Amino acid sequence: MTGHIALLCGIVLFCILAVLAKDLIKAAISLAVASLLLGILFFLMGAPFAGVFEISVVAGLITVLFMLTIALTKTEGEVRESKTVKIVFPLFFVAFLVIDILVMKGLLPKIQALAGPAESGTFGDVLWKQRTFDLVGQLAVILAGVFAVLALFRKRDKDE
Amino acid sequence: MSETWLIYLGFAAGLLAVGLYTLLTMRNVIKLFIGIEVVSKGVSLVLLSTGYARAHILLAQSLVITFIVVEVSLVATALALIINIYKHTNSLDVRRLTKLRG
Repeated sequence: MTGHIALLCGIVLFCILAVLAKDLIKAAISLAVASLLLGILFFLMGAPFAGVFEISVVAGLITVLFMLTIALTKTEGEVRESKTVKIVFPLFFVAFLVIDILVMKGLLPKIQALAGPAESGTFGDVLWKQRTFDLVGQLAVILAGVFAVLALFRKRDKDE
Repeated sequence: MSETWLIYLGFAAGLLAVGLYTLLTMRNVIKLFIGIEVVSKGVSLVLLSTGYARAHILLAQSLVITFIVVEVSLVATALALIINIYKHTNSLDVRRLTKLRG
């Protein structure tokens, strides 16, 4: 459990770094490190497939996409953030956590867990047999993403 | 409801707080999107930790994989939009978007 908590602390710290870093490249790398730690945590929790997806897709592919966008949108004068952002952050963070914990303490005991049979079979059985409709949805979402990117990058006609 | 599950939920709430704060205060469009990514990390953590605590890890794993696929599609579309915004306004400042017309 200590390892899990250390990884969770690392994830939150690197996410804070990603948000507060001035340089966008450093922010993207911090986000990738947070994803890597989350992937390792998934492995430790006994979810190797989710871990592999998290590390290869989120820490790998999404970081590359971020880097590409940062490289394509390089501006000389950076966007100036408000000076109060870094000062107010700790207050907001602590206040949000306190309110969240208070609400969860009151709310969670009232939620009844749905009774269901214990899990059996392999991950493939669950993904392909129980969650078949999710896979159809995934295909639809991927196609929608592809068409959206194609539409956004299409060459405009002269008369448009 | 186990103590372990509450710890995971607490850390996921921390990630949500970081992401929400970014979305509320930052002006750089890429930073705003990093905020969305941080929130999505919190969501995947909640999904998997709930499955872990309730001994339904296989189902949670398949839900997390579906979530990651949706996330990738979202990222690709949003980053393409950001590049288009940059081409139009020559800036990544979200305040410039208020000057868009029609």
